[in-house]
Amino acid sequence: MSIEIVHRIINDFGALLLFTMILIVAANQISGAIYAVAAQSLFIAIAGAVLATATGNVDLWIIAGITLIVKAMVLPWLLLWVIRRMDVKREVEPVIPTLTTLALAMVVVVMSFHLSASLDTVRQTITGNALPVGIALTLNGVLVMATRKTALSQMVGLFSSENGIFFTAMAVNKGMPLIIEIGVILDVILAVLVMTIMVLRVRSTVDADIADLHRLRG
Amino acid sequence: MAEMLIWVIPLVPTLTALLMLTTGNRRILSGLDIGGSSVLVVLTFILAHEVAASGPQAFGVFRIDDLGLIFLLLLVVLTLAVSIYTVGWLKQAVEVGNMKAETLRYYFPLVQAFVATIVVTILADNLGILWIAMEGTTITSAVLIGYHGHHHGLEAAWKYIIVTTIGISFGLFGTVIIYAAASNVMGAASSMSWSAIMNVAHRLDPGIVRIGFIFAMVGYGTKAGLAPMHLWLPDAHSQAPTPVSALLSGILIKCAILAIIRFQMITAAACGAAFPQQVMLVFGVISVVVAMPFILAQRDLKRLLGYSSVEHVGIIALGLGFGGAVGTYGALLHVVNHGITKAIAFLAAGKAIARYDSRDLQSIKGLFTVAPTCATLLMIAFLSLAGVPPFSIFISELMVLRAGIGHGNWVSIAIFLAMAVIIFAGLLHHAGAMVFGKPTVTASREPEARSPLFAMLLLAAIMILFGLTIPATFDGYLQRATEIVIG
Repeated sequence: MSIEIVHRIINDFGALLLFTMILIVAANQISGAIYAVAAQSLFIAIAGAVLATATGNVDLWIIAGITLIVKAMVLPWLLLWVIRRMDVKREVEPVIPTLTTLALAMVVVVMSFHLSASLDTVRQTITGNALPVGIALTLNGVLVMATRKTALSQMVGLFSSENGIFFTAMAVNKGMPLIIEIGVILDVILAVLVMTIMVLRVRSTVDADIADLHRLRG
Repeated sequence: MAEMLIWVIPLVPTLTALLMLTTGNRRILSGLDIGGSSVLVVLTFILAHEVAASGPQAFGVFRIDDLGLIFLLLLVVLTLAVSIYTVGWLKQAVEVGNMKAETLRYYFPLVQAFVATIVVTILADNLGILWIAMEGTTITSAVLIGYHGHHHGLEAAWKYIIVTTIGISFGLFGTVIIYAAASNVMGAASSMSWSAIMNVAHRLDPGIVRIGFIFAMVGYGTKAGLAPMHLWLPDAHSQAPTPVSALLSGILIKCAILAIIRFQMITAAACGAAFPQQVMLVFGVISVVVAMPFILAQRDLKRLLGYSSVEHVGIIALGLGFGGAVGTYGALLHVVNHGITKAIAFLAAGKAIARYDSRDLQSIKGLFTVAPTCATLLMIAFLSLAGVPPFSIFISELMVLRAGIGHGNWVSIAIFLAMAVIIFAGLLHHAGAMVFGKPTVTASREPEARSPLFAMLLLAAIMILFGLTIPATFDGYLQRATEIVIG
């Protein structure tokens, strides 16, 4: 594949990733947001496979495979299992109206492109539009975490934040060292497990959503 | 020999943690805890000797220089003191039901695992490993913060894990960006090793490094408890079991500072020292200002100490921001002084809270009558935190101030001084109210347990020594670390 085509493919995937991000921000139902983030991880895995074919970097295949299994399948399945287990009746519960959040998300996307347009040198080291898309996903993930009241929505925000970093890291021309990426994924899995245990524990002891506790102040 | 030590040191707490999983007996667990911590202290002292004799040591992804050594020494001393303290603290906590005897077998291994992840953050030369270990500290300590298992603990743990995980993902993004810039310069031989990036740092593109530094600063700054990213800190520090609070405040937030210093050095080499210093000054000033009202109006003893940590991390950032030899030396000395002093304060506060069965500052009264030694230790820790001479924090604050005057940044100095004076008054007021006066009838008058007192006296001896004179060997480490930072 020529560099031109790889650039185009990565840019197309960037657009798809931004689209899934909008679905996550706009989701009314928590399960919808989980499917959207699973799709997002799937696109990142495919983008990784494309980059692996184009650059001949074997490490990228491994990373794409792990992303596919862990982030697109196991972790979303875990979240859906928690929903069934807790019999979630409450849905997303935004702090501010979804439309306002969407508008903010748009501002973030535009700013990310604007920011990285000013960084000429780096554009050569990172394929296509992976840098602005990565920044946009990371910041929008944080936005989701900050504007949702329920624990599971906050975890979805965390996933898309991590996805943004991964997308950029994959597209760095020389690739990230494999061992680092595996370590990062391991950390994410551990963090999610600890969070899940906390959510279930609070649910079983006080029958409340953990993100809804507001007793510590001042 | 020294190269081998670099690998052995992180293994010590890891193996201790694994050994602990095999037993549920409190005595054996405490013995292993103190034993593991003592071995760690001895090995670190040997390593410190080697580094002083033959310079920085590197092995694989790990590297130790004088800068890292300061943090490592602080860590091992605090770990040992906390292990000793835990013996008496735990006995009491189990008796009143604060800790359940059957969950102890997980508490000790978690503390040692927490220590192991901190050791790796200090030794990591590879920026990726640094990030992984830093996230590792979040996971292990989040479980510890929620250990009591009541609402407040779990709420604090959730807030902690969410806020610091968001923060730390910014740190990872900063790392990726700096790596992208470095791989552009280094070509095929690119690596994430900090020392390799430092070698080519002056050739990195300034624009991209700036963005990377901002991300890293916000990311690791969250973990360091710099305002306005400090939201998790007062909750986590107040809800964690006391020994864990001492470790969180004493060393964990300092390790994040070490990570920031690493990125600051890359940035200073790539785009001049002025830019990272400016960023540090902004965060430093905000932290000191934000902490002030919460310290004055505080009613919860452990939250008070948490906000005081925000202030002191701010002072460290100010020292690094003013820069130069004096400012950097002062900031590094402040890392050690605050670590030791805040550990004493948390440990003494834990004993006081157990006596009154309340963390409300208004119900803790007349501590001196019921527990004179603990009261004296709490008082000198508060005096030191307020910046009273001849205690150690006074010296390092004076150095930071001196660097600020040399730097000529009058606005920052004026704000710093004003806040320091107000906080001084606030802390002394709170301490006086707790220590003097007539104790409530319900206050426990049991004799003071020996092991917690011994641990606190050990730390107090170091604190007082550093206030009077800095030992020549340690001064050497600080001098060389300062040279490393200012380049």
